[in-house]
Amino acid sequence: MSTFARDGEHFSLELTVDEAHVLINLVEQLLELLGEGDFNHHYDDGDPFAQIMMQMKAAPDEIVVPDDPVLLRLLPNAYSDPEAAADFRRYTEPTLRGKKKRALEQVRLALETIVDQNRAGTVRDVESQTWLLAINDLRIALSVRLGITPESFEVFEALDDEDPQKGIYAVYFWLGWLQESLLNLLNNG
Amino acid sequence: MTIVWDDPVNLMSYVTYVFIKIFGFSQERAHELMMQVHVEGRAVVASGTREEMERNVQLLHEHGLWATLQRDDKI
Repeated sequence: MSTFARDGEHFSLELTVDEAHVLINLVEQLLELLGEGDFNHHYDDGDPFAQIMMQMKAAPDEIVVPDDPVLLRLLPNAYSDPEAAADFRRYTEPTLRGKKKRALEQVRLALETIVDQNRAGTVRDVESQTWLLAINDLRIALSVRLGITPESFEVFEALDDEDPQKGIYAVYFWLGWLQESLLNLLNNG
Repeated sequence: MTIVWDDPVNLMSYVTYVFIKIFGFSQERAHELMMQVHVEGRAVVASGTREEMERNVQLLHEHGLWATLQRDDKI
């Protein structure tokens, strides 16, 4: 499993071609879920990641509480009072959504060269804060779809190796490692 | 006040990092609040004007933490 590494003054991320594909697919699926569909995506609609991520895809014209649980977790209510939450959402959600999309889009661009060359490669001069936010949002999105609880590690370990959920959990687990490695570099900088 | 709620996803190291980044807490204070969130299910991380608390919640949401705000006299 690849993790971030120090590269002189900067950080880098060396990825296998499979890892780069997995990452860009997730990033693109989350971008689409957030309402950014203006690119040619790299994933196949039949792959289990796409299917799990795209269970519900809706970009309502009005700013309302999202139906999709992933969106509701990424763009949560700020108040328990529905009226106050709706007001707050109306004037802050576009900014929040935009920031999440920008981070994901930057990560997508950094991965695109590797994916398009279809071989292992290294992301150099990693923009650490951007990657930190994007990886965290990907982990959150997967966690909602997988129904992550504190006991999930044992539950998913026990699944049959052929179960697609197990593969998706492995990706979720890897993203945690990836994030931890970046945090270690930032904390020891 | 600004309240951060526990979730089983955000890494403990990440939550601590975000508290330091957003609020400028010391490592010790950030760690203490992160543990309070983890153990008690929530922690009050800031109090002040409504505008300040709304700004905090926006920043916490940008970082993927589950945060809400409420009036100080309601807890």
